[in-house]
Amino acid sequence: MKVKALSRSQSSTTRSTPSDLRPLHKNLNPTSHPLPRAREYTRALTAAKLDRMFANPFVGELKGGHVDGVNCLAVCRTNLLPVVSGGVDGTVRIWDLQSRSMVKSLDAHSRCVSGLVFGNGIGGTFYSCGEDGLVKAWNCFPQSNYGKGDEEGVDDDKRGSARKPTAKGTLHNHKRNSSKSNNHNEQESSPYGPINTYRLPATRSSHNSLSFHSIDHHWSFPQFATASSDSAIHLWDPNRSNPVTSFTNLWGSDDTVTTLRYNPAESDLIAHCSNDRGIGLHDTRTASALSKTILGMKSNCLEWNPMEPYIFVVGNEDYNAYTFDMRKLNRPTGIYKGHVGAVMSVGWSPTGTEFVTGSYDKTLRIFNVRKEAGTASHIGSSSTGVARDIYHTKRMQRVFCTAYTSDHKFILSGSDDTNLRLWKARSSEKIGQLSAREEASLQYRSALVQKYAHLPEVKRIAKSRRVPKFVKKETQMAMLQKEKRRRKEENVVKHSKPGTKSFTDEKGKLVVKTVD
Amino acid sequence: MKDSPSTTPPPTKKHKQTPPANPNQLAGNTITRGASREQLSARRKSAKSHLSTLSPHQRSSVLARYHGTSGRTDLSTHRLRNLRRDDDNEDTSKLSSLQLRNLQKRRGRSNPGLKRQTLRRETKRLENAMDALHAEEILQTQRGGMIEVENDMERTTQVTQEKLKNGMLEENVARNVYDLELGEYSPYRMNYDRSGRYSVLCGRRGHVAVIDQHTMGLRTEFHLGETARDACFLHNGMMMAVAQEKNVFIYDENGVEIHRLDAHKRVFGMEFLPYHWLLATIGHGGFLQYQDTSTGLLVSQHRTKLGPCHVIRQNPFNAVLHLGHTNGTVTLWSPSSSEYLVKMLCHKGSAVTSVAIDRSGTYMATGGGDSKVRIWDLRMYKETHSYTTYGGPPMCLDISQTGILGVGHGCHSTFWKAEALKVKVGEMYMRHESSGNGPMESLRFRPFEDVCGIGHAGGISSIVIPGSGEPCLDSMEHFTNPYMDSKQRREAEVRSLLEKLSPDMIALDPDTIGSIEESNIIQRQQRLRNMAEEADARKAAEKEEAKNKKEKKRMRGRSKIAKKLARKQKNVIDENVNKLREAREREKAKKARQERGENAGDDVDDAPAALKRFF
Repeated sequence: MKVKALSRSQSSTTRSTPSDLRPLHKNLNPTSHPLPRAREYTRALTAAKLDRMFANPFVGELKGGHVDGVNCLAVCRTNLLPVVSGGVDGTVRIWDLQSRSMVKSLDAHSRCVSGLVFGNGIGGTFYSCGEDGLVKAWNCFPQSNYGKGDEEGVDDDKRGSARKPTAKGTLHNHKRNSSKSNNHNEQESSPYGPINTYRLPATRSSHNSLSFHSIDHHWSFPQFATASSDSAIHLWDPNRSNPVTSFTNLWGSDDTVTTLRYNPAESDLIAHCSNDRGIGLHDTRTASALSKTILGMKSNCLEWNPMEPYIFVVGNEDYNAYTFDMRKLNRPTGIYKGHVGAVMSVGWSPTGTEFVTGSYDKTLRIFNVRKEAGTASHIGSSSTGVARDIYHTKRMQRVFCTAYTSDHKFILSGSDDTNLRLWKARSSEKIGQLSAREEASLQYRSALVQKYAHLPEVKRIAKSRRVPKFVKKETQMAMLQKEKRRRKEENVVKHSKPGTKSFTDEKGKLVVKTVD
Repeated sequence: MKDSPSTTPPPTKKHKQTPPANPNQLAGNTITRGASREQLSARRKSAKSHLSTLSPHQRSSVLARYHGTSGRTDLSTHRLRNLRRDDDNEDTSKLSSLQLRNLQKRRGRSNPGLKRQTLRRETKRLENAMDALHAEEILQTQRGGMIEVENDMERTTQVTQEKLKNGMLEENVARNVYDLELGEYSPYRMNYDRSGRYSVLCGRRGHVAVIDQHTMGLRTEFHLGETARDACFLHNGMMMAVAQEKNVFIYDENGVEIHRLDAHKRVFGMEFLPYHWLLATIGHGGFLQYQDTSTGLLVSQHRTKLGPCHVIRQNPFNAVLHLGHTNGTVTLWSPSSSEYLVKMLCHKGSAVTSVAIDRSGTYMATGGGDSKVRIWDLRMYKETHSYTTYGGPPMCLDISQTGILGVGHGCHSTFWKAEALKVKVGEMYMRHESSGNGPMESLRFRPFEDVCGIGHAGGISSIVIPGSGEPCLDSMEHFTNPYMDSKQRREAEVRSLLEKLSPDMIALDPDTIGSIEESNIIQRQQRLRNMAEEADARKAAEKEEAKNKKEKKRMRGRSKIAKKLARKQKNVIDENVNKLREAREREKAKKARQERGENAGDDVDDAPAALKRFF
């Protein structure tokens, strides 16, 4: 007779010294793990709770801020650290993101700074336009031979001839160097510039009241475009003080263009929003418009998707943001709702999968463009069209400018309360290096939340956001109004002669008219 | 088994008509996303055919992984059938015209993309489940214990504990065979914690001791000075609950009293539900009480209405509690329902003395006062077969992790192989006698070891049953690792509290969570009503049939003298019967008159004799 009974050796069960790893056992038999569904669900619930518990998106404000509302903001397309912001009082400030502090304040314009944009070189040249009718070029990495000015800074922007700055350090070194030198007269002797000043040639009409509304730099050529109050778009070469080309009255109306943006891929394509509630596309080679769409209300801002450059998003006065496919302007591809104030600014994530909107209702919202979501905090809403996250603070006022940093980890917002704020793009993300175990457990948790996101309790927790009372009330009101509109439309269809009236979806209702 | 996804597109109708000159060019132009539908369905078919060749045990294991559940498909199929039925005849009266329009649109449109995606995912999941089974077979090198006979003359029952102790087993296993003579405080009960490291002994006359089974040392011991009816560990071996004369008390590892649970009065039996952190007690009053041991709250309290109850055991598959009652019924309980979930009459005319449920939740063994051990299939709630015990009714039952059934009856304990739950086997696996110490008070298998602990009037016996313990440990399952150190234990405590299940998740089907709810409550209720009506109608029809059925002309007994007389009696004109018949007819006529409204004036006849003079 053969008899064998279980006996486990000491070495397989306990570690010999405290420095050893503990022996791990795994039983793969499903009957050893009872109640699998319930336990996994509970884990998912805990994961959703933990995600909300760790949600702490506000990193901090940028120290030493503006003394008036922040009107515009620009991040560099090629460098991670420099950020410039322009205030309503006409000052432009250069910031260092790493230390979250101001490097330099420049008295750029005599009136509100209406637009800021970085050049596409690595030299750190940026342009500001103001309502005083001036465009100025600046440099946030000042060279040692700063006095010479014009060509040096501009040179960097030229395609193919990008030259590295001679003394490239952190922004702080420059600050220290410069602080000695700009004690007396900063406008003339500042190493930051202005490198160059551009103004429109004086014309008979309206020279005095001329102002710039928007500026954008070309993605690859040394060229920038401005929109000004003479209802014209001007293209500029940085080396010339007069515009290269001017387009006036191009889009069937002489309404002012408020925003214009170069397409990242098509080198001659500009999209714009204008005061006549229109958004349009324009080819700079042909001196004629491609197409234009009139929406129900005015659009405040427009940005191209950096990864899918045929998509752009506009922020509208009707509290919504819309994405459009540039090939098909008669219908938006997506409607992004939730704000209870006009959308003042939008900013794409460099990944092109989400964008942030800043609104007059004092909140920021982040929207997914795609349904697939990455991390647990993406679950806020699995569907597109609803914000996956809402950021607000007690002190933040109306948000005028927003931008993602180019590592897509942070969001910058500038608001009426003179502050620039830095937020995490994913509110519960841990900043810094993760250990392998941390990373694995985070991934497991987010996968769990995704798996059970359709269950009411998990969904409720993952979606829950504290919003200001005002926003909450307005949202409820908006829901009521929407329900009323829906009911009315239904009644109209029901009680009119069959076949005469039919339902139109929301996307179909948006566009008032298209102009070619 | 798996086909590699081919890069060339599947031949379509168009390609067949005009074969392209350069096939490479075509491949370059066509975008193929993964495998095509034909390839997928072929893969799925081959996987399914492979599945059908597996053994039933393997198949259920694959299905458990495939569905991500505990693998009891019988529960989910019912739910799915109802869902389909709901979906087919949906109640559209509540929908707005827009919703109705969208619904019709959706109905009319088939979504081939979605279908293909579903097919791909399902195929992948099935293949992964099969791979996981293979991985389990390959990776789990631990083999369980066993007794193997070498010729036909040998029987496994011939292996006695003395033989095992003296030479048949290794030294470190043989030390598990011992007897503790503790007659003074007997009878004794013994319980193990979830890891099988600690055991708690509980003498009826108030002796409680905790033994560390690894060191064979006494961890703590104390005398209560009053009756101790039952003792069990809570989440780990550091805390235990003792059912004493009046209340339940909770003690820590050093025997210090931590809590007195006032709500639990005169408790006879206790069970701890480890995943829900619930201590369930039943006692003299027949109240089933659930106490949350992490928050200290009394979760629920159910009146069983079936009198004092000694037998309580949890179903490890779904955490439902099984109570055995003195009237021979077994009732199933969950904290969320104040009524029992299921009531089964298991032993007619005798009390249920013990209950045990196997780990997969499929089989239940009940022992009754009729000296029977009945095996029940919990999928059907039907008895499959039964065993008879000799030398006393089965007082205690347990099913080990591997499915070995242990029965304590009289002064014997007998053990049956795992097959004994499925089919009736003729021969037992092992037996053990504790002469003069009967009846057995408790019998429990030690988890993760081939050991069984028996409590009886003489004290405690620990015996070795080869093949009864699960060979594979799992460090990820909290508190089941017998070798965990204090740091691991602390971490497990936090983690298992984070994963504590809510008490209302306990249901007969543990996989309902996260599955699709039956959509329409009204339809579900209607369905239940229909079922009840159907059952009623069937019963009524049966009754009717029984009534209409002609009485069989049975020849036997016809000539019995009493019956003959009775038949004769029918023809005899009886005076009393006639009187009664007339009275009845009078009554009838009077009633008819009253109904016609003709009762005026007839009061004289109706009035009692004493009152007639007043008319």
